[in-house]
Amino acid sequence: MPSRARFLPYVLLLPSLILAAGVIFWPVGDLLEIATHNVNRFGQLRDYNDFANFKALIADPNFTAALIRTVVWTVAVVGGTILISVPVAMILNEDFYGRDVARVIVMLPWAVSLTMTAIVWRWALNGESGMLNSALRGLGIIDANVQWLATAGLAFPMQIGIGILVTIPFTTTIFLGGLSSIPQDLYEASALEGAGRWQQFRHITLPLLKPFLNIAMVLNTIYVFNSFPIIWVMTQGGPANSTDILVTHLYKLGFRIGKLGEASAVSVVMLAILLVFTILYVRLAMREEAR
Amino acid sequence: MSRKWKRTLLAWTLLAPLVVLILFPFAVMTITALKPQAEVLNPTWWPSELRLRNFADMWVATNFGQALMNSLYASGIATVGAILVSIPAAYAMSRFRFAGRGLVRQFLLVSQMLSPIVLVVGLFRLMASLGLVESVSAVGLVYMAFNIAFTVWMLQSYFDTVPKDLEEAAWMEGAGRAETLRRVFLPLVTPAIAVTAIFTFINAWNEFVIALTLLRRQESYTLPIQVFSLVAGRYTVEWHHVMGATLVATLPVAILFAWLQRYLVRGLALGAVK
Repeated sequence: MPSRARFLPYVLLLPSLILAAGVIFWPVGDLLEIATHNVNRFGQLRDYNDFANFKALIADPNFTAALIRTVVWTVAVVGGTILISVPVAMILNEDFYGRDVARVIVMLPWAVSLTMTAIVWRWALNGESGMLNSALRGLGIIDANVQWLATAGLAFPMQIGIGILVTIPFTTTIFLGGLSSIPQDLYEASALEGAGRWQQFRHITLPLLKPFLNIAMVLNTIYVFNSFPIIWVMTQGGPANSTDILVTHLYKLGFRIGKLGEASAVSVVMLAILLVFTILYVRLAMREEAR
Repeated sequence: MSRKWKRTLLAWTLLAPLVVLILFPFAVMTITALKPQAEVLNPTWWPSELRLRNFADMWVATNFGQALMNSLYASGIATVGAILVSIPAAYAMSRFRFAGRGLVRQFLLVSQMLSPIVLVVGLFRLMASLGLVESVSAVGLVYMAFNIAFTVWMLQSYFDTVPKDLEEAAWMEGAGRAETLRRVFLPLVTPAIAVTAIFTFINAWNEFVIALTLLRRQESYTLPIQVFSLVAGRYTVEWHHVMGATLVATLPVAILFAWLQRYLVRGLALGAVK
């Protein structure tokens, strides 16, 4: 190889790496700095503050509540999505009339931005004139209007449901890819040996789908953990902070209350959690690659 | 009844609850957008007449044109920029074996995991220190940076599918690397570049947090922020206008996405197996 070509790949990569590093990794460094220093309201750095921001977070019941709610949110959305997406992908993998239409419908929520989806649901769930109330009343399921988003105990489960609905398309896609990679003769052979549908699912489908389940679980955990628009658009963390998760709490701290130091500390905590999942994902991805 | 018909019946019955839940918001959006204003707050499903004029009123009342231009501009910058810097990067990743290649791939994976919301305080400070708050171009630049991992990943996985023999044959004929690239390689990967560009555009088009944070004045709002501002913190919301705006902002992109979705899946899958 001529010596000029030795440097060529680095030259070709340089612009993209500089841009990504400048816009993504510079803020990471900045966050670490503000989180560990005193900062005034105008964002000027003062001296190192011995983790005062982190201590303030731990002492703040709103933070602890948001942290716990984030765990509930992530586990419920990711778990619910996977439980629904496995059967949905198995159905969509069968040969039936109108399958292409069914596939397009299932993929639809992916095509709409989360912001717009959340705005439509905010209206559909409106307590006075929302169309969910009128539909349910028309069907005779409820007698009086339900205040879906203004009731503390109801808003969060509704948001989890919508979170699941918008995560299904991506997850189903991953599983469809996995199902199509399972050789059909495995099922035929097991049917000859007298295996029933359930046994086939337990002993063929599930084990062979496992790498795809892993990828879906880790990627969705990262996406859902970071998901901001659904909750922010529908309730902004309300009523009375009862739907706040870490991202909305962070946004309020930073841009409503102006506590940049504590907001950055939340970011740092989130980065640490994300790092664990990212390492997990890189390992899974590299293991797939090594095969 | 044949077996396939039985399967069809079973499949649609099982999918029905999900299909209803998915189509429900689309129905709400369309019906509300077409209702006469007086009926919007009535809890009836069907409008007495389909008021198509709502869209024309909405366009003016919601300042839709300005927000549309801002969205097109920011997404355009993001798409053109991200593709221009990603083509050489993806080419390098696909065609060269060099020290640090694995490291670059890990760097791309990690940067894809860092979402704007977690970095939002740092991003805001970065843009503020450069005096770029309120700048739609700066929002486009940030979108560009956050999409690079995705574009390089997608492009590389498509570039890998182009056989090297074609380029080698051109070199044998005495064509230089640059000429081979221009006359042989680029024409072959144009469809892949187009698909990747469209998805980058959709990503930027739908983005919320960065625009919400960096754009504070109505003149610089992008569509998601503009529509959100019609809903958030208001006593009276003109829901028929909001739903009309949501519909117009969503439909073209949703159709594009539904049409091209399989290419996205293939690109991501290719990248994952490679």
